[in-house]
Amino acid sequence: MADDIEGPYEYPFEEAPEDLVQFSDGAIEGRPAGVPSSYDQGGSTRWTPEAISEVHALAQLGRYQVRGYNSFNKQLPTWDDLTFVPATMTRLPLEGYREKCDTKTVLGGGRGLVENPIELDIPIYIASMSFGALSASAKEALGHGASKVGSMTCTGEGGMLEEERAASNRLVYQMSPARYGLDLDHLRRADGLELVVGQGAKPGTGGLLLGMKVSERVSKMRTLPEGVDQRSTIRHPDWLGADDLAVKIEELRIATNYKVPIFIKMGATRPRYDVAVAAKAGADVVVVDGAEGGTGASPELLLNHTGIPCMSAIPAAREALDECGMSGKVTLVAAGGIRTGTDVAKALALGADAVMIGNGAMMALGCNSPRYYDDYAALGTSPGACHHCHTGMCPVGVATQDPELEKRMNVPAGAERVARLLTAMTMEVTALAKACGKSSVHNLEPEDLRALSFEASAFTGVKMAGIDRPFDWGTERKG
Amino acid sequence: MSDVVIDVGKRPVREVHEEIQAAAQAGKSITVTNTLSRHNLGVGLPAGCSIRFEGSVGYYCGGLNNGAIIDIERNAGWGCGEAMASGHITVGGYAGMSVGAAMLGGTIHVKGDSGPRAGVAMKGGNIIVEGKIGYQSGFMAHGGKIIALGGAGPSCADALWEGEVWVTGDIEDLGVDAVVTEPTAEQVAEVDAILDPLGLKDTSRDWRRIVAGQRLWYFESRDAKAWLMI
Ligand SMILES: Cc1cc2nc3c(=O)[nH]c(=O)nc-3n(C[C@H](O)[C@H](O)[C@H](O)COP(=O)(O)O)c2cc1C
Ligand code: SF4
Repeated sequence: MADDIEGPYEYPFEEAPEDLVQFSDGAIEGRPAGVPSSYDQGGSTRWTPEAISEVHALAQLGRYQVRGYNSFNKQLPTWDDLTFVPATMTRLPLEGYREKCDTKTVLGGGRGLVENPIELDIPIYIASMSFGALSASAKEALGHGASKVGSMTCTGEGGMLEEERAASNRLVYQMSPARYGLDLDHLRRADGLELVVGQGAKPGTGGLLLGMKVSERVSKMRTLPEGVDQRSTIRHPDWLGADDLAVKIEELRIATNYKVPIFIKMGATRPRYDVAVAAKAGADVVVVDGAEGGTGASPELLLNHTGIPCMSAIPAAREALDECGMSGKVTLVAAGGIRTGTDVAKALALGADAVMIGNGAMMALGCNSPRYYDDYAALGTSPGACHHCHTGMCPVGVATQDPELEKRMNVPAGAERVARLLTAMTMEVTALAKACGKSSVHNLEPEDLRALSFEASAFTGVKMAGIDRPFDWGTERKG
Repeated sequence: MSDVVIDVGKRPVREVHEEIQAAAQAGKSITVTNTLSRHNLGVGLPAGCSIRFEGSVGYYCGGLNNGAIIDIERNAGWGCGEAMASGHITVGGYAGMSVGAAMLGGTIHVKGDSGPRAGVAMKGGNIIVEGKIGYQSGFMAHGGKIIALGGAGPSCADALWEGEVWVTGDIEDLGVDAVVTEPTAEQVAEVDAILDPLGLKDTSRDWRRIVAGQRLWYFESRDAKAWLMI
């Protein structure tokens, strides 16, 4: 007890003067003794400078923030938390520089129901990004780039852009709950139909396109007044649950004469159940978009605080398909935070049949490239840090509807960079697959991976490096 | 009289559809019998096709209609005429949820009541309901008109874009951002012109025309600078 400090003990010397006790020989005047850094930097792990400025922003704006790009949540694992363990003594590698490794990828052929399953030369395609979020030139460049390497693109929720249809050899048509510009002709000109029930960047919430990007052309395609802040619905207008969805899927098959596969795209939330339901409802392809997934514009809170990481969603989705006997019948596509071929290879090894990329493809087009510094500065950002797609003032012409800015998006050059990125990523996948002794990228398996963190092992069931056992809860999963 | 009679019963809908399409391509007028409220009958039919469904139909009858004249004798399930681009659908009885969802053009005429969310997300065309429209009818309608002659359920005309909901009779309550306006004589004449060919014109009606208050059109600011905070 502090009261007892005044004990009977007496120093064998004169008591120190108070100013010496207070470090008068050099301490900062007026500051009590303490850990100096706590004065300079603070120490609250909750009230970080970011948290404080977020509260300041909310208090000034009276609304939540909206932005583009992808999640800034620091707790999300990265694909770097996994590493490959190539063939050594127990397995035989293939010759990385010589032997063949198959990359052909078929989407939607598993049920044997549709006349034209989608055949891709590579296991990677370009995610649904709407015309509206992206400029027409960006969409066209993505189409040509994907076509050059036998890949595909998707319309996104803004309807079918003629430039993209012409450029893209294989084009999936997205039906969002708002059904912008949907008509029979467009459905029949598509190579696949995608019913979107959510996306990784904002599961449980509909599309968002701020007024700056609702140009005359965009507003016509979406039947909206020009310049409105388009906040779309999330519930589909004419079906609610899985049983209705099954009927809806049959309708779409009938409307397109059983020619093209039906995709269901969802944000990763409860993939173990959601994927099983989608497969049961009759989807040919299920697309699971992790919490890292990109967006043209989303409420900041949903970007950072909803959904589960892609790496955790893939094994859960695969388990769901295995459990209901749908593996092989239903194609599983994964997305969310995939940067390079190594990330693709990891996603395939975890159980995806194919992956799609959004933000990565935009970077090939020029997103965040070090040019037009002044225009990045005008947005309060710089190349490498830009996440301002929502403003429509994209310095490189990718995510804008401003005709002047769009001129910076050179279609032939952008297309070639997209083609090269997809080629390089595919080379990376095959290099890893061959090192692991696989003659097809689709033979990559969880055993080819090891986890470098407990989290990654717990999220995926992949064995921990060295100890060679998955992080184990010691209990059976219930339900 | 119809040229072709197609029986549904328990046959696969795909097979029925192929027969309907073939008859439609051949320009025949079609009667479909024994419909048993089956789903997905008469989907994606072309212009020039004239088809009558005896009895009731299930979900999405006349869905993605591309110009056909469709006559349903009794009731229709969910999503009747959804995403129709053009054509004319008559429902002799009641229409279930989301009649005319996301339709782009053409006319749907329901002689009885319609279920919830009639004309949800519709982009154009007209839905005429002789009875009452169910709750949240007109939800986020982008364009076109819903015309109800027998009143409206709760949350009527919720969150409209440029669609309009016209009601005579009682409205249980209005949806978010719904504004009731007094129509001009010109506007009434437009609606009468839609009703006239259906034999429903009546100049003594007391109309309420409901449009968007436009409070939901703008989230916050139309100025890009306001969105540069982070
Ligand atoms: C600019 C942009 C626009 C998008 N538009 C849509 C859309 O219209 N519909 C949709 O389902 N997803 C949309 N997405 C999400 C992508 O389809 C995809 O799920 C996501 O980008 C994948 O994650 P990644 O960007 O990390 O590769 C969009 C993403 C971006 C970056
Ligand atoms: S550079 Fe353009 S596309 Fe990239 S984050 Fe910035 S605004 Fe978006």
